Amino acid sequence: MSEHGVRIQLDRVTKQYPRQPEPAVDNVSLDIPAGELVVFVGPSGCGKTTTMKMINRLIEPTSGEITIGGENVLALEPNELRTRIGYVIQQIGLFPHMTVRDNIAVVPRLLGWDKARITRRVDELLELVGLDPSAFRDRLPKQLSGGQQQRVGVARALAADPPVMLMDEPFGATDPITRDKLQNEFLRLQKELRKTIIFVTHDFDEAVKLGDRIAVLAEQSHVAQYDTPGRILAAPANDYVEGFVGSAAAIKQLGLMHVGMLTGLAELSATSGLPTVRSRENARDALDIMLRAGTSHVVVLDEQGDPRGVIGFEDIAGLLREEVSRVGQDA
Amino acid sequence: MTFSRYLENRWDDLLEQATQHVLVVILSVVIATLAGVVIGALTWRSDRYSGLAIGTSATLLTIPSLALLALLIPLLGLGWAPTIVALVVYSLLPIVRNTVAGLRSVDASILEAAKGMGLRPARVLWRVQLPMAWPVIITGVRVATQMLFAIATIAAYVAGPGLGNEIFSGLARQGSANALNQAVAGTAGVVILALLFDLLFVLIRRYTTPRGIRV
Repeated sequence: MSEHGVRIQLDRVTKQYPRQPEPAVDNVSLDIPAGELVVFVGPSGCGKTTTMKMINRLIEPTSGEITIGGENVLALEPNELRTRIGYVIQQIGLFPHMTVRDNIAVVPRLLGWDKARITRRVDELLELVGLDPSAFRDRLPKQLSGGQQQRVGVARALAADPPVMLMDEPFGATDPITRDKLQNEFLRLQKELRKTIIFVTHDFDEAVKLGDRIAVLAEQSHVAQYDTPGRILAAPANDYVEGFVGSAAAIKQLGLMHVGMLTGLAELSATSGLPTVRSRENARDALDIMLRAGTSHVVVLDEQGDPRGVIGFEDIAGLLREEVSRVGQDA
Repeated sequence: MTFSRYLENRWDDLLEQATQHVLVVILSVVIATLAGVVIGALTWRSDRYSGLAIGTSATLLTIPSLALLALLIPLLGLGWAPTIVALVVYSLLPIVRNTVAGLRSVDASILEAAKGMGLRPARVLWRVQLPMAWPVIITGVRVATQMLFAIATIAAYVAGPGLGNEIFSGLARQGSANALNQAVAGTAGVVILALLFDLLFVLIRRYTTPRGIRV
């Protein structure tokens, strides 16, 4: 069994480097609920990585308080703290002289686990990240593709089952296809594990795709908006956030809505010749399919591939309107 | 006497001197490797201290070997002790320099990952950096060993062990019957030993380098 996430709180956290006029991170407060994946998104140099690294004390805060599961991080011994926080970086940093197994076993060994338990855990983790243990356990990092290395990196970070994971642009160095695949697998993994994850990226689309919540950060890590992807897209707090959301906010929002969410699907009549979409795909995919096929409607198929109904442009537009007005009321 | 007759007659002596030559070199290299790796491990992080360590060992290397041995006589007497001290001093430079270079060559992201996992600096050094730096360090040791086979010859000057005795006594008795044979046998012995050890290092390097970083 795995340990679920715990709450992380940042309270007026500041990092001031000596001989610099302005703090790199200025007075940041954030409350990260247990088991959620929160994305820090912002331009390069805005302090998002610095903010994250203060949580495992790779960077020491100048002032402020950080708690993980109610425990004051600054009162713990840094190395002991770090064994309880999974850490994944863009360059992965696998140890090239160790096998996959030994890479994953580093922290369990540090914690004094016995051999049998380590072996079980390594295999379990490899399966979890979609690598066949018997084929990959004894491989060396140089015998792995970039995507496989990143999976091992995630497995290594999960080795001692930490409640918290920090991920610094983990998929940033992979090609678009691999990245998409890794993101999907990671979402599936997180659904199961419910760790508390802080994920740093400068890619807003990635933030929308992965985040339960997004913290849009401006200079000095000032929190411009901290909300769910849907609400940030529907109601950006200010011009800065709007700029970061970029163009086609409505289209991006559609990406968050499953076709299956559409209620009152139109009667199935005269559907022959219409393109189809699976119910677990999103409204953006449905729109794309319609545009490509040059039709104004698309047939929704359920998991078994049987038609469930028909949706059209109006339904999608209506869904978006509903969502915007719902968010407007919440705010 | 022909050279081959000479070799035949003096084979036992030559073998003993060669064995001692090898022993004194191995002993010195082992000590120098331990010392050099420790010095490198303590200083690699700071430009200033590693610069000081490399600069000092480079300066030591410039002391003429005869002078260094002569200086050591009042302190350590004759024989093995001054020989080993001198040889250790001379082999520090390649070992310290390569240790520092090797430890520094480990990618920053690997060190960050190690630290982020909660490994203490000593453990990072022992489990990650030293294994990764090993091919570079062992190359330094190999260079040092090559140098020492030649320099160890001078040990005969302080009544130390090795093939130097053969060469020195040959040179001292120039013109007499076996003088040339002696000098040639000693020199050839040193060259052969150095070549053999160079080959040996190719194997040592290959079998002590972790599989994952072998090229």
